[in-house]
Amino acid sequence: MTAAGKLLDVVTQGLNIAGSILIVGLMVMIGADVAGRGLLGAPLPGVPEMVSLSIVAIVFLQIPAAMRAGRLTRSDAVLDRITARWPGVARWLETVFDLIAIFIIWMIVSSTWPLFERSWRRGDFVGAIGDFTAPTWPVKGIIMVGCSVLILQFVVRILRRFLAPAEAQA
Amino acid sequence: MTPFEIGLIALAAMGVLVLFGLWVPIALMACSFGGVWAIKGSPELAGKLLALSANDTLQSYYFGVVPLFVLMGFVVSESGMGRDAYDVANTLFRRLRGGLGVGTVGANAIFAAITGISIASAAVFTRIAVPQMLRHGYTARFAVGVVAGSSVLGMLIPPSLLLILYGVITEQSIGHLFLAGIGPGLLLACVFGIGVVLGAIFLPGHVQPNREAGDEIPGLTARQMLVKGLPIAILIVYVLGGIYGGWFTPVEAGAMGAIGALVIGFAKRSLTLAGLWRVLVETGLVTAAVCFLIIAAQMYARMLAFSGIPAGFGELAAHADLGLMGLMLLYILIVVALGMILDSSSIMLILVPIMLPVLAPMNVDLIWFGIVTVIAIEIGLLTPPFGLSVYVIKSTLDDPTITLGDIFAGAAPFALMMLMVLGLVLAFPVIATGLL
Repeated sequence: MTAAGKLLDVVTQGLNIAGSILIVGLMVMIGADVAGRGLLGAPLPGVPEMVSLSIVAIVFLQIPAAMRAGRLTRSDAVLDRITARWPGVARWLETVFDLIAIFIIWMIVSSTWPLFERSWRRGDFVGAIGDFTAPTWPVKGIIMVGCSVLILQFVVRILRRFLAPAEAQA
Repeated sequence: MTPFEIGLIALAAMGVLVLFGLWVPIALMACSFGGVWAIKGSPELAGKLLALSANDTLQSYYFGVVPLFVLMGFVVSESGMGRDAYDVANTLFRRLRGGLGVGTVGANAIFAAITGISIASAAVFTRIAVPQMLRHGYTARFAVGVVAGSSVLGMLIPPSLLLILYGVITEQSIGHLFLAGIGPGLLLACVFGIGVVLGAIFLPGHVQPNREAGDEIPGLTARQMLVKGLPIAILIVYVLGGIYGGWFTPVEAGAMGAIGALVIGFAKRSLTLAGLWRVLVETGLVTAAVCFLIIAAQMYARMLAFSGIPAGFGELAAHADLGLMGLMLLYILIVVALGMILDSSSIMLILVPIMLPVLAPMNVDLIWFGIVTVIAIEIGLLTPPFGLSVYVIKSTLDDPTITLGDIFAGAAPFALMMLMVLGLVLAFPVIATGLL
């Protein structure tokens, strides 16, 4: 269980690093576009398309790490009070929340699959032929990978809570 | 049940779940999923909408620059420009009563012109300004209060991530929104500055009880002012000049600002590669949290549209005959109340889509409405029980003797001053729209 949790964290961190590198790529792309337009009078082809695809990839690469780091927005004041007074109730409440999250993220994965499959089969792309094109399936794949890792993170939260209470406290 | 009733139930369920601590984006998605399922009777359709929100919402150039604005803010703080802005502002205001307080406000106003997020300012000035004010005999309450209060300037003075978000939701010009933020932002900074000086003179016990004569901090020499002030001035002129000189769009300003801040940071040798990496990872986490919320809000907006709630509220508002001012007051009340439990982007993403159809028949200037919304949201961030700025300060502070209560008490006068400025912007829209 601990080993699986650690492996998951390594994967999560890997996605996180990929996402961070993509942010630098985004900055360089826009910078080159502005410089090309201003200095050479020729914007870089495909920058708007690449930027709009990259942001989706960045978010789904980073979301498991953000959740692991406790950065998903939540208001914990009431929950903290419940935890202080009735720790048992709080554990079940947290578990219900994790299950809701698993269900809803799973809905995203399962309904993104047909979109991915269609995009792969038809070779969907953004941009204009002859100028610049980029396929759309990789981003849809990243959405499913990111969401799957996110689901596993929620599962591990539940397991940590009930299988190894000592570990959860650490 | 009518769709309207289902929508109301979904809203109520969402409120309860969020209050008990379910992650806001998950709560938005789950209740919207349930709502659409109940209205349309089809879980497949609800699932499809969820997938479309995840796949398509962010796929636009506007959202692509969100991480770059965040990155710019973090690079600027990492490369020590917050400290420099503080030193420069303190030299300017050091002869005033409450000079370090006015300096904090001034430094925040300067800092706001080179960053687009207010959590960056709150964290930076908690580390820099609070210890210095404590050393010079200011009360802890005042020190943290002035940092909390002036951190909101970051969201008003351009560039501002919140204004970009608003511009995208309402399809307003981001360049115009930025211009409209300048007047209220400067006004707020002046009101804060005057408030600090008046407080230091008339209520010294609450501001600086242990003030010693000749205790002014030593000012910088002209040369030091230049060394510290010039990089910041260059960055401000470069970002704002670039936008309004037509070199790049407000959307591109995030990338260009981040590049500029990187160049300056490396040139000053205050930014290391390790520091840059730390900042990049942090940027990724903040971006993911904000954008995930945007995806969830898109799903929620679709559910609202199906339920007809915005149109229903619009009719209610029309029949209640509140008039524009009555409606605005009610709206501000709700925004401030929500600010007690949610962060700025959540409030904006939840409330603005409901309000737009309500405002449509009233010919409201949506630029002005955006500025009013941002100020109201930021007031909520200073008020108990759950002010976000206050929590950032508390976690950065790492000093158990200063309690959350102290920070809220210290921030209260600043929240009042913001309320005053909000009233002025409501009464005289020209403060916001004058520059357009």
